[in-house]
Amino acid sequence: MTGSRPGRVWGLVAGEAARRGGRVSAADACAAAVAAVEVTGAWLIAARGAEAGHVMWVTDEVSELLAELQLTLGEGPGPDAWARGGPVLASDLGDSESARRWPVFAPAAGQAGAAAVFVFPLQVGAIRAGVMGLYRDRPGPLSGPELGDALVFADTATLLLLDAQNQAAGEAAPGSGPGGQPAGLAVHRAEIDQATGMLTEQLGVGIAEAFLRLRGYAYAHDQRLSDLARDIVARRLRLRPDPDPLEEGQA
Amino acid sequence: MDGELLSATFVELTDTLVVGFDVIDFLHVLTDRSAQLLNVSAAGLLLADPRGELRVVAASSEAARVLELFQLQSDQGPCLDCFRSGRPVAAADLAAEAARWPRFAPAAREAGFAAVQALPMRLREQVIGALNLFSADAGALAPADVRVGQALADVATISLLHERSMRHSDTLNEQLQTALNSRVIIEQAKGKLAERLGLDMDQAFSLLRDQARTSNRRLSDLARGFVDGSEPLTGLTVIKTRQRLPGDGLPRPQSPPG
Repeated sequence: MTGSRPGRVWGLVAGEAARRGGRVSAADACAAAVAAVEVTGAWLIAARGAEAGHVMWVTDEVSELLAELQLTLGEGPGPDAWARGGPVLASDLGDSESARRWPVFAPAAGQAGAAAVFVFPLQVGAIRAGVMGLYRDRPGPLSGPELGDALVFADTATLLLLDAQNQAAGEAAPGSGPGGQPAGLAVHRAEIDQATGMLTEQLGVGIAEAFLRLRGYAYAHDQRLSDLARDIVARRLRLRPDPDPLEEGQA
Repeated sequence: MDGELLSATFVELTDTLVVGFDVIDFLHVLTDRSAQLLNVSAAGLLLADPRGELRVVAASSEAARVLELFQLQSDQGPCLDCFRSGRPVAAADLAAEAARWPRFAPAAREAGFAAVQALPMRLREQVIGALNLFSADAGALAPADVRVGQALADVATISLLHERSMRHSDTLNEQLQTALNSRVIIEQAKGKLAERLGLDMDQAFSLLRDQARTSNRRLSDLARGFVDGSEPLTGLTVIKTRQRLPGDGLPRPQSPPG
């Protein structure tokens, strides 16, 4: 049933991490996607703001080449997905449309062994973490269920990557309790986005940090993210620009 | 019915090949014009996300948007029934529908709506979403209005599914995902603006839309610029006095507790 997709996807991602013997990461989401979506390989590019980004992780040599090529050329489905803020589904790199859009990348990718490329921006609204790319050695579109899975793997990778970026910046990751599911994987509710926007003003921080603080507060107070967001939107709760989420007052 | 507005709307709803076409703006045209033309209080639109969920993509008012969200959260209501069956669903008097939709019917009435008509967005076997028309007064829509409403939904569906290239289903999916993320950006921008100016979400949205219109920008671009700080929108002021409907449950700014 479609309703269980996020749960099923999270199980596959966690299983990948367990096999690897490490903490769940965006790379696990990518690796699990390769198996579940039945693609040949995948890559992960981390980026923030206007930066071009850097290759974080690849499954094979072809993926590495595809990722590097697009970063070097600034051309291809990846840069387009990043610029547009939506996925780019190039189901046949050999067709005229691809040749027109990516005159250098499309033939080069074909030569390397990629016949179809699907790139998903890792984003939550204006919060951007990078892109996840998938490739196949045969042409053809993703089926409906494959696309649905790929999108949820990308959602999962987004949260994991945002946590990792914040950890790298010296902040605690709020989202993933041991063996737990990252907060925010639930059906996306408008209140969560509105509350995130409100927190940028309340806390005087950027949108990515506001989202982190929202999730951190929910995690620290064992609250559902959507309930917390509703309280903030209804102005029953304000967060203070205080680095310790546990110190914050509740109305 | 305003015949001129109707023909203008059909032109707008087929004009998807324009440079800078934006699915969100397009669907807002559909909800806004439907509400105007069919003399209903509000219209809301759900589209199917390949993730397996329905998503609220456009609404002519915040009340309609909240009610669409409520249907999704409570997993019940005319828009869901319409999407699942691919057929129109009507309720001329929500006061009599408590058995059919025990959670939705009271919520809709509390939001000020007495009747609802849901129309599928469907092309042959493919149902991509549903359009909900909400009326403040009880009573069924006139059959002619239902036909016009369905025609608007059909034209919009065909335009969205139009084969703009060989990769048409890929194109629709790309645009839909971009639109869904734009929706998230707009919600983030609403929150930021609402908090900054002490507005409720509906007012914040109106202000953003007005600003996008007067500056001739796409709403999603403006919203992104405002959220990421490249578009400070410092000149924005609220001209109208804040109005609150009794019992609308919408928030009011408060000083921090304690």
